[in-house]
Amino acid sequence: MEEYDGLDTPQVITHIEHNINHSIFDCKWIPCSAKFVVIGSLPKGTGTLEVYEITSGEIRKIKEIERPNSFKCGTFGASSDIERRLATGDFKGTLEIWDLEKSCQMYITKEHTDIINSIDGMGGNVNNCGAPEIVTGSRDGTVKVWDPRQRGKPVANMQPVKGETKRDCWAVSFGNSFNDAERIVVAGYDNGDLKMFDLRTMSLRWECNLKNGVCSTEFDRKDIPMNKLVATTLEGKFHVFDVRTQNPTKGFAQVLNNDAKSGTIWVARHVPQNRDIFVTCAGNGQVSLWKYEYPEHRYHVDHQGVSSGVPGKLKRLQRMVVSSQPINAWEWNRDHLGLAVATAYDQCVRVLITTKLNLQ
Amino acid sequence: MDKVFQIQNQARNNVKELQTYMTDLQNWEAEMKRKEAALNGAFEQDLPPVRSKIKKEKPVVPKKKPEQKIKGSDYSAWDKYDVDKACEDIDMEDVGPTSLDGKKSQQAKLEKLKEEAQYEKERGNTFVKQEKWDEAISCYNRAIELVKDDAIYYANRGLCYLKKDSLHQAESDCSEALRLDPTYVKALQRRATARERLGSLRAASHDLNEVLKLEPHNTAARKQLEAIKTRMGTKGAKSKSSPVTTPTPENKPIVKPKMQPKIVELPSEPAVAGQLIADDWRTGVGENIMVIKPVKKPPHLRSKRPLKSIPIQEVLLGEKTPEKPPTRLKIVDIEDNLSQGDSNNNDSNKKDIHGKIDACGEGEKKVASPESVKLVSEAIITEKIKNFVPPINSVQFMSEWKYMKGQWDAMAEYWSLIEPSKIPSIFANALESSVVSDVIQVLHSRRDKFRGRTAYLAGIANVPRFSALAMFLSHTDKQMLTTLLEDCKQSENCTDEVIADLKNKYEL
Repeated sequence: MEEYDGLDTPQVITHIEHNINHSIFDCKWIPCSAKFVVIGSLPKGTGTLEVYEITSGEIRKIKEIERPNSFKCGTFGASSDIERRLATGDFKGTLEIWDLEKSCQMYITKEHTDIINSIDGMGGNVNNCGAPEIVTGSRDGTVKVWDPRQRGKPVANMQPVKGETKRDCWAVSFGNSFNDAERIVVAGYDNGDLKMFDLRTMSLRWECNLKNGVCSTEFDRKDIPMNKLVATTLEGKFHVFDVRTQNPTKGFAQVLNNDAKSGTIWVARHVPQNRDIFVTCAGNGQVSLWKYEYPEHRYHVDHQGVSSGVPGKLKRLQRMVVSSQPINAWEWNRDHLGLAVATAYDQCVRVLITTKLNLQ
Repeated sequence: MDKVFQIQNQARNNVKELQTYMTDLQNWEAEMKRKEAALNGAFEQDLPPVRSKIKKEKPVVPKKKPEQKIKGSDYSAWDKYDVDKACEDIDMEDVGPTSLDGKKSQQAKLEKLKEEAQYEKERGNTFVKQEKWDEAISCYNRAIELVKDDAIYYANRGLCYLKKDSLHQAESDCSEALRLDPTYVKALQRRATARERLGSLRAASHDLNEVLKLEPHNTAARKQLEAIKTRMGTKGAKSKSSPVTTPTPENKPIVKPKMQPKIVELPSEPAVAGQLIADDWRTGVGENIMVIKPVKKPPHLRSKRPLKSIPIQEVLLGEKTPEKPPTRLKIVDIEDNLSQGDSNNNDSNKKDIHGKIDACGEGEKKVASPESVKLVSEAIITEKIKNFVPPINSVQFMSEWKYMKGQWDAMAEYWSLIEPSKIPSIFANALESSVVSDVIQVLHSRRDKFRGRTAYLAGIANVPRFSALAMFLSHTDKQMLTTLLEDCKQSENCTDEVIADLKNKYEL
């Protein structure tokens, strides 16, 4: 605190804290509403989807769905703001799409043979940014892309070559979807591999190894030509790649932030209203707010005419311990700057507010 | 010391910031709940095809293309080449099959947009009341973005610009509004003001003339026009504003603004000329009826006054009442036939009752005016009364009662058939307040037809949930009841208790 005395330093404040008596893994705002859904599992091994509503400073559970398998992750990204269907992945590898109003599944398929660790959706609520698609990453080593309009089978499947060891895929996310054709999937694996798949050409565009298991990846925006990519790993490290400029040999320019004390960085999420600010949530319950500052020139061209990216700088705007246990999920609200919901392993769901983000 | 002060200042600042954030959050909550409520219904999007499907199509394309290519030297093939078809194919490629199914929910989408625009307009109007012109303008901007063809939004935005002295913008907004609705008086007036202040006096006076053509008694416009004329001064002597003040009888358009004088207050759609024929019945095009449109207003803007009941008269669709008054001859004609269904009042019921009435009068039907038929039906009813049987239930009662409207003798006759003690069982829960007041009038005016009118009153009062019906009794009904009860007391030797009990039940 003492180092951030400026009047425009954002404050991260826990607005509502609500204890839930079971493990929770993910939380998502229901688009166009003051509600969010919390995804988790009960001690007996069943999965729950709980819908909460914020009413004058308090949250109230308005719906609960229980299923035989624990849920791990969910996304509204592939659904329109009117239908608002939640896609979930569970511990057994089932992908389900839910109509939360009617509490029924609209889509169910089990192509993964093990837990779905991560899910991301795209194309539901933006026009001219491609088909609605869901990507899932699983412990079975595969990354599958789904279209809710095609029943049962994935539209793309990225799996290791026969004979290779299957790595546990921990994180997936979409990006570069600035028109109907282009789309990229980034997948992070437990051995530190980070792979970038181009869905248009159906090829591996780029890969590297970050030395530690990749817990979370996110593009700063999904619906623009890819700009920045954040990948967080174990042991308190995270990387920010400038993915505008790809050098054929060196790949992308990156900034590495290392803070071993904070433990695993579980998740990184960009502010929807400002793509250069993002939050990271660490294993010690600390949230940090970062701003990426671009260099004067984002790329330079060498004497052979090949351009390569120039990394920028990271500035920490604020940090705050909000939980005693790791924070495993965080989502900013799309409609209100600075409002977020987060779940943690202390079995609490929190609504957090961050002030003065508009001044950054 | 300085440091302490700084920290305090910082803390205070943070608290303040947090407070404003909290109020923001509450607004957001309310906004979200409203948005969510607005979000139901079908939704469709033009989406690109499923990825795996594209893959299948791709290899087909390169195969096809070489086939279609015709060598430059192959003249016979070129002769057969259908250029039109090729062009069509290319066009279709652009459109694609996916965009065709997006049309289904077009109507619903439009509806939703309109609602949203309406909301923005309401917000804009409240800003106008607070004289916050810039906020109001941004609200109207959004409304216009959502619905581009509503004159009101333009005219209102024009007003804001006018207030802000952005006269050119005001003028162009009003012009746009008038393009959409040429009879929009307020837009004309606003444009006139804008033009006057811009100095184009002739154009302003022209607008005002238009206003006066539409609303001859618009004093504000008249005053403004006179002011302009004096400003035009010497030049004004030859001004063209000739037919201004005295509207000539052939000024037909007067009728139009009368139909919709409060265009700003009502969220109805602008007068669009090109309506689909299939929708004619909705809008009542070509029929002599007034169409009541649903008014969509958010709950907080609705009137707090109680709802007024409007008697509903059933009219056959597509049937017109003749414009000319009927001639005597026609009445005679009909009486001969005794077979006309009423063209205005629902004749289906009547057909049921009068077995004789059939389709043979179909031809004359269109000629028959409501008055003439009324005469006929009255005659028929009085004849038919002898055949009336006391109703067993309310449905039966209503089917007979319906076309006795206004014929007090027939009504009295019919009621006298009903056993008073059976009234509660006949009507059960279905007695209508209009029937009650009719009966009161009948009992009052046709006293000689009834034996024991108190019994009737008591019977009606014993109908289930009568207390609710009693609340609907009008002042005149109650007056009639009081005199009726006085009368009964004397003629039927009722005890004071009975009368007091009835008075109590009828809430006198």
